[in-house]
Amino acid sequence: MRPDVSRLRLVVELALREFVHERVMSACFVLSLSAVLLPLLVLFGLKFGIIGNLLEPLKEDPRYRQILPAGSGSYGPDWFAAMAARADVAFIVPRTRAIAATMRLRAVDTETGRIISVELIPSAAGDPVLSGLEPPQAYATVALSLDAADKLGVSAGDAVEGILTRTLGGEQQTVLVPLIVGAVAPAAAFARDGMFVAHELLMAVEDFRDGRAVAPLGWSGAAAVDGPRYFAGFRLYARSIDDVAALREGLMNQGIDVRSRVADIELVKTLDRNLSVVFWIIAGIAAVGYGLAFGSSVWANVDRKRLEFGVLRLTGFRTSSIVWFPILQAMLTGALGWLVATLFFFIVQAGLNALFADTVGGGESVCMLLPAHFILALVLTLAAASVAAASGGRRLAKLEPSLALREA
Amino acid sequence: MKRYEAGGARFRLDIPELVIAPGAKLAFIGESGSGKSTLLELLAMILRPDSSGQYTFQPRSTDEPHDIAAAWQAGDVDLLADLRSRHIGYVLQYGGLLPYLTVRDNINLSRRLLHGRGDDVAEHWATRLRIAAQLDKRPAELSIGQRQRVAIARALAHDPTVLIADEPTAAIDPLNAERIMELMVGLVDELGVTLIVASHAHGLMRHAGLRMIDHHIETSDHNSMHVTVSHAA
Repeated sequence: MRPDVSRLRLVVELALREFVHERVMSACFVLSLSAVLLPLLVLFGLKFGIIGNLLEPLKEDPRYRQILPAGSGSYGPDWFAAMAARADVAFIVPRTRAIAATMRLRAVDTETGRIISVELIPSAAGDPVLSGLEPPQAYATVALSLDAADKLGVSAGDAVEGILTRTLGGEQQTVLVPLIVGAVAPAAAFARDGMFVAHELLMAVEDFRDGRAVAPLGWSGAAAVDGPRYFAGFRLYARSIDDVAALREGLMNQGIDVRSRVADIELVKTLDRNLSVVFWIIAGIAAVGYGLAFGSSVWANVDRKRLEFGVLRLTGFRTSSIVWFPILQAMLTGALGWLVATLFFFIVQAGLNALFADTVGGGESVCMLLPAHFILALVLTLAAASVAAASGGRRLAKLEPSLALREA
Repeated sequence: MKRYEAGGARFRLDIPELVIAPGAKLAFIGESGSGKSTLLELLAMILRPDSSGQYTFQPRSTDEPHDIAAAWQAGDVDLLADLRSRHIGYVLQYGGLLPYLTVRDNINLSRRLLHGRGDDVAEHWATRLRIAAQLDKRPAELSIGQRQRVAIARALAHDPTVLIADEPTAAIDPLNAERIMELMVGLVDELGVTLIVASHAHGLMRHAGLRMIDHHIETSDHNSMHVTVSHAA
């Protein structure tokens, strides 16, 4: 028989022309839909904007992703390998005993001759607090904290000299370690005098303090201990703030007491969850209310137009084609209502953001939505409109055509 | 057989035998409530009979007959819709034009449903029915007589084999009614289309050359009416 496509196109065209013909009533439906949708968009925009403003600093600051061991432990290579393999771990390096992890430091080329003591912080490529900076390498390249670099008067590329001292067999021994400042870390990375060093240098310092030999640097002493090496601590960063809680939980279960900023993160997340619940309750009430109002108006419309539908049937339109009539018109109402609500949303958004500009500052938006949110709103609106119209469609399908014609 | 029951009133239409030959021109005369519309709707395959013996539809002598009773039984309403679309033109008492379409689009509707977007036959039919000046108006701008002419044009535009008209001239003044009937009969004669009209205007139908469908009405009590149609051509 004739292609279904052209028949469907005819139904679409008729539905559109009727929609335009009854433009006053259509406009009423469109406006009533946008009147429901607009407050929901603004409400969700506020929730998204406010939570975004609260969460953004937490996401950007690596300190919120750090998990610190509370005490001293003993962690072997197997443990580090297992931790590094976890998907929720972004960065982990072993940390030696705090007492061994210090070094005195002086600048080589400047006249000051000032010597400072720095804490050694184990680091490696991918260190979150040194992101975008040259990572420390082997025995020679290090990164200084901002405080330390300021005190020494050095910047990236300068040479510094480390001074290590030990007392071995009653005799004081000193070694000098020539170092290159590969980078100066930002202030937020470390608040005291500190030096980010590679694993090799950190172990060399610990070995030297313990009286052992360090062959690569030509330091003499007792032979190295055989077997796997154990470390007192670690520097650990979760992949994202969402992973901190689970990671922390996992470590606690292993009997490792840790400190994290999980409470700060949870606070914002709880706020987000609670606001979401409030939003969806309001959206649900609005959707049900609008769905009923829209559905009953479609139903009434089908009743009002039963003669027209009867004529279409009599002309030979199949029931399955005619049922598309109210559904197509409902979808069109939904799409236009969404469009109107979206346009007004931008006006309201501009007003709200101007109003709260002083409060948030930094050009941040108190009310904002992503393109994906608008698309989601459209999809949900179309789905709700179709469901509401389906009741009218079902009524239409059940309508005895001849009775409809008789009443005319 | 079609039976209605509403508000305690019973109505039954029996059709023991009704054979309508291709090209026949028939009228079913009766007052309102005598089952006119019921008969036409059964013939237009839009009203489900409550029970039926044999009911076949053979559009042309060369076609295989379609078993309408079986289609209703099987619930194959799509087949019936397709048969209507292909073979039936229907004129309602008040035109039944779609208010949102122009006269041109109303006339082309049945043809577009059948053949898709294609040739515009509205000019031709509007000229034949003398409404060419109204082509781009909407039904609301037309007189009742003009609307009926548009309805007839639409009912014929897709080259149906049967034209069914339910009180096509009841709402029109007698002079106009006569003209429209003459026009309609002239067209169906020319096209070889079978014509079935329901009307209460006996004289008008006879004048237009239509044969009457015999029937008799039994009213056993106040609330029950039993119409029996019998006609063999």
